Amino acid sequence: MSVRATELPKAYHQAVERWRDTYLPDFALLLEKWDRFFPRDRPFKLCAYRECGSCAKIECGEKKGQEKYVRVGEMGSDQAAHLLGAVRAQASTEFGSIQQHQLTLSRAQDEQDQFWILRMMAEELRHGYQMLHLLLEDDWSAATRRSGADMVEEILSMRTGSHVLGTFNIDFDSFVDNIVFCALVDRVGKYQLSMQKVSAYRPMAESMPEMLREEAFHLAAGVLPLRRWAEQAAQDSVYVTMPLMQKVINKWLPRALEMFGHELGGATNLRYGFKPMVNAEAQEAYYREVGKVLDDLNLRFIRSRLKDLKHGEAIALRRRVVEEGESVRGIAPEHLLRQPHRHFFRRRGEPAFSMVGFAGEAFEDPELYLRHILEHLPETYAAGRDFKGYATLLRQVQGGEIDASEAARKTPNLSRVGGVCPCSKAVRWVAGGPTDDGATFSTTP
Amino acid sequence: MPEDLDIHPLDELAVDGIAALDEKISGTYSPEVWERRTMYYIRRDPEGSFVAESDGKIVGFMLGEVRSGEFGLERPTGWIEVLGVDPDYRQQAVGRRLAEAMLERFRELGVERVCTLVSESREGLTRFFAALGFKASDLRSLTLELPAKEAS
Repeated sequence: MSVRATELPKAYHQAVERWRDTYLPDFALLLEKWDRFFPRDRPFKLCAYRECGSCAKIECGEKKGQEKYVRVGEMGSDQAAHLLGAVRAQASTEFGSIQQHQLTLSRAQDEQDQFWILRMMAEELRHGYQMLHLLLEDDWSAATRRSGADMVEEILSMRTGSHVLGTFNIDFDSFVDNIVFCALVDRVGKYQLSMQKVSAYRPMAESMPEMLREEAFHLAAGVLPLRRWAEQAAQDSVYVTMPLMQKVINKWLPRALEMFGHELGGATNLRYGFKPMVNAEAQEAYYREVGKVLDDLNLRFIRSRLKDLKHGEAIALRRRVVEEGESVRGIAPEHLLRQPHRHFFRRRGEPAFSMVGFAGEAFEDPELYLRHILEHLPETYAAGRDFKGYATLLRQVQGGEIDASEAARKTPNLSRVGGVCPCSKAVRWVAGGPTDDGATFSTTP
Repeated sequence: MPEDLDIHPLDELAVDGIAALDEKISGTYSPEVWERRTMYYIRRDPEGSFVAESDGKIVGFMLGEVRSGEFGLERPTGWIEVLGVDPDYRQQAVGRRLAEAMLERFRELGVERVCTLVSESREGLTRFFAALGFKASDLRSLTLELPAKEAS
């Protein structure tokens, strides 16, 4: 297998660089210190990587075994539109997460943690660039009448609040958000990329391997600091406590679960050969894996607190404390992390706006439920617009004014994005003639 | 071979299992050492090193990478660098399954030669690699004991 690196046509490459200068102002610092923090790693390059030589046959769905699509034009319009939606959503998440991370990047207590996050942000930029490469290299007229320039402009114009997926519309409140986001939300990314690695659209499948390699680092950029914080918390560190970590996990896990899409959905992706699993199946595997992350962190806490314990003894103690609710050798349930119920604080999908508590208990009064949620969330988040929006919708759903599916739809989506209208005051990221250097894509008026 | 043996690429969640396995073998719990080591391999090629899981725990691991240009070996060469198998799971083909996964990955990356270093005192390990087809090569390991400078 070989990896091919390509750059976008000049106007688009420059547009991404301008975007980077705005939302990732520490990029130059990252390059300057790269050798100090990542001495044996390949230097960062803003380009699209395609791994050639991957499976040429469709690996799942109704056309399994047939040749993969090399061009969008080989698909039917519905299939092409479905694929386009996935590419735009993927691009939106990549750029969106950078805007979120930038908010609190400078608050890191540890320089290495900060540079690991900074590297992760640069690689997310490359992932977004990779998706723009897919949009610009092919002719998408089977799916849309919009030009490549318009689609790129639209994606680069998104802000926190207008991204495709709700997770990317929530502000970070502290550097703990940066870390937990990597450990939980990037893990969803790993699942999505792993599924798209078998995509029936070959350019998509070929784009995934390098993105997955980089994603492995992003997960570590989250889990490693969490482990260190758990060990320090066991020594009564006052900086990042287990209760704080728990609250930030509670903030992000519900949103991460929603990134898989509705629990009853995903059959179309499977039928078209774009993903090998339906949403519920992938979400279930993810939820189990998050359980492993929490087990891992609890084990670190226990072994840091009780250094005489061996591995098996520490696991047995963890089980007694977390599952049986006992206090053992000074470690009580509230000292360790617990996984919120998968229906807790949900606003999309099957359990949207149902009132399920942290441990799966049912609530009937929305005010009591909101108070229950607030006990489990960081105060700074609860004081923000995102939680207020949720509370308003929950009251409307429970008061019978709207139904849960309508409330779920009241989250930002692509149609609300501005910035592409010529009379808009927004910055235009794609400047000049996008085809002046012989780009191979075609545009539709 | 354990019926539920699952071989999969190394990831950041494997660190504790590997540290626990090492603790079982060496008696020392050093998660920070294994975190550094595994991160090195994850950053080089996260699909290039493997762990074996059975009954929800890690029972073996094999770390390696592809290098070229070192030791006068210009062609890409696969290196198997670290191998560990739970003593309770030895003689159950765990190591062989790990090696098969790693050799397949090397093949995908265009590697035509795979190297490792084994101490002569580790006869079991030598037999393990011989059973995989490894042979003594023209590469010789040379060692220099470097005494510490005397304090002035």
